[in-house]
Amino acid sequence: MTVIAAYNIKGGVGKTSTAVNLAYCAAQQGHQTLIWDLDPQGASSYYFRIKAKVKGGGKSLVAGDRDLDALIKGTDFENLDMLPADFSFRNLDLRLDERKKPTRRLQKLLKPLREEYQLIFLDCPPNISLLSEAVFEAADILLSPVIPTSLSIRSLAQLKRFLEEHKLKNLKLMPFLSMADRRKKMHREVMAHLVEDYPELLETVIPCASDIERMGLERMPVAVFAGKSRASEAYRALWREVEQAIR
Amino acid sequence: MSEINLHFQLPGNQKIDKFLAKISKKKDLQIASQQYSLKTFYDSFDWRLFNAGVLCELNQSKSDSRLTLVDLQSGQPIAAAEMDQAPRFAEEFADARLQSILAPLLKMRALLSLTSLSYQAYRINILNKDGKTTLRLLIEDYELLPARVYLQPIKGYDKTAKRISALLEKKLGLKMAKKPVIYAALELQGRKPADYSAKLAIQLDPKMRADLSCKYIYSHLLQAIKVNEAGTIDAIDSEFLHDFRVAVRRTRAGLSQLKRVLPAAVVGRNAEFFAWLGQISGPARDMDVYLLNFASYQHSLPEDMQGDLQPLYELIKVKQHQSHRELAAKLKSVEYIGKLQAWEDYLKESVVKRPAEADALLSIKQLADKRLWRVYRRVLNQGNAISDQTPPKALHRLRKTCKKLRYLMEFFQSLYPEKKIKRQIKALKELQDILGDFQDYQVQESTLKRFANEMMAEQTSADTLIAMGVLVQNLRQQRLRARQAFAGCFDKFKRPENQASFQALFSGKL
Repeated sequence: MTVIAAYNIKGGVGKTSTAVNLAYCAAQQGHQTLIWDLDPQGASSYYFRIKAKVKGGGKSLVAGDRDLDALIKGTDFENLDMLPADFSFRNLDLRLDERKKPTRRLQKLLKPLREEYQLIFLDCPPNISLLSEAVFEAADILLSPVIPTSLSIRSLAQLKRFLEEHKLKNLKLMPFLSMADRRKKMHREVMAHLVEDYPELLETVIPCASDIERMGLERMPVAVFAGKSRASEAYRALWREVEQAIR
Repeated sequence: MSEINLHFQLPGNQKIDKFLAKISKKKDLQIASQQYSLKTFYDSFDWRLFNAGVLCELNQSKSDSRLTLVDLQSGQPIAAAEMDQAPRFAEEFADARLQSILAPLLKMRALLSLTSLSYQAYRINILNKDGKTTLRLLIEDYELLPARVYLQPIKGYDKTAKRISALLEKKLGLKMAKKPVIYAALELQGRKPADYSAKLAIQLDPKMRADLSCKYIYSHLLQAIKVNEAGTIDAIDSEFLHDFRVAVRRTRAGLSQLKRVLPAAVVGRNAEFFAWLGQISGPARDMDVYLLNFASYQHSLPEDMQGDLQPLYELIKVKQHQSHRELAAKLKSVEYIGKLQAWEDYLKESVVKRPAEADALLSIKQLADKRLWRVYRRVLNQGNAISDQTPPKALHRLRKTCKKLRYLMEFFQSLYPEKKIKRQIKALKELQDILGDFQDYQVQESTLKRFANEMMAEQTSADTLIAMGVLVQNLRQQRLRARQAFAGCFDKFKRPENQASFQALFSGKL
């Protein structure tokens, strides 16, 4: 089982669409895949038309009162299941803080799913918090979308520093460019610098595309309603890169 | 979930359109696809998948061709993969999951197509108010059989499955399907599932006349010979020939062990015929066995030598083809067909009222007791005469006697309390296994030496011959281990309580 977290300290950088589209790509290839919507806004739940509600809320979930498996919903797509969000997830930090070894909690909760799923995608809320630390402990790969702006790069630097300070050696950081618009001069310049400063940056660039915005209307992964679009091709390429790293 | 019925049958006269119209009044649904399809069922000749509760079906339509393994009880899919045709052997499946399920069930047996059904396949999604699919319906509207509806629940939406199941049963008058559709499909051909098993299951009446019972037993064995004949000729998989040979050997054991029951002339003539059948089918079986063992031969070698055995594989493969071709020609010959027909005709004749043979009028139970006890005593005597210094020949003789005893016990098992006879068969089997190993290793050693000589003449590389040398050495060690294990195994077989069980079972007199 490989756990892949879509994460960035900043919001609005394309975490949810990354998690949703890559999970779909993986499932299409026949991998048993789960996507866990940890963001109380429930955007990825919304994209899969699954109600953002979890019986007992975040409290009993973190406490381990409920069997995680019983909370999982099948999506409309083969091999792809979802653990939906709940509005109470806005307090997950508090709930974690009530437990012993809070940063290990997520990892512990995921353990029983090892048999059933080959891949687990975590769609994380922005911010750096106790929940993020628990995500870092549980994940094998931190997939971090970066918009080519100076502010975004600053948060990437922050994240990298944090990971180094906390000695999270087993966690592989994989940043990639997201919502990139080659028509914008600033995007082009930042992109050129970024490749030099961050050799771990993935090659694939997810463009700023209207098809990705349309996901909110269609409520499904891009590849389902615009299979041949540039956006859908970009996610496929991104998945290929990530998959190679897993191997 | 298990209490919900997920598999329904439409009343014979109900049209699908009408059914869909009715259900769409109650629920939002979306017809995801509707296609003309062909369903072909597959299993091994001896129904290994069916016996393990699995159905294997290839569903082909214009746009899709997919092999699905289905749980026999629930009708729910277990695993599926796209493919144009079903491979013959489990190891030929490209999909890892299918292979991992099929390989341990099928082992060396080939998948054969059993029967096909053409039908209209409807894939229907039941949607909630967000347009999310909460249940899938698969409707198969067969040309020759009443349509079936399969509910495929989606994880986390059990309530929808429950509601729709109740709706179909209570409001729409659908009946729960009691048996998987394969039963009805096979019935169209006058067949039923699991109509072949390599195991002997002969039901005898203890009071039946011995001659009549023997004819009944031989008819069973003849049936096994006949049903495995075509698969042997076509070399579909190794087990057709194996089962064919077992039936031949069992017949031979019967003819030699139940002598004074049928007329001596008939017994003599057919003993010769079946001995010939055993002999002509031997070489092909030997080559099959070497190929079946090949992977374990390879694994018994150090890793860097395993590849060196490949030329041996090629040689055996050539010999296997050749011997199968020769056997097939003989099984199509007038001689074989004529003699087998004569045997069948004889078995069909009714028994004479006053037979001349001494044992013909015994009850089968009397005959069984008498023969089983005598052969059992022979096993004990022959075994007792074997010491650590005894040459291999004596062990081979004992092995043959054990086989005869085993076959007789299997012929007559319905005459004895099931648990008791099974326990004694098991005790005998342990002894047979050791004796079998001992002889098999010895035969394999000498055959491999013979092959090595042939290959040397063909200028095979030294690496291959060295690898074969190591293999022969391994087999030799295994043979010595089996020889060492014999004494302990025989001591176990002859321990007093085991002897007492045999004696009580066969009403033996000491």
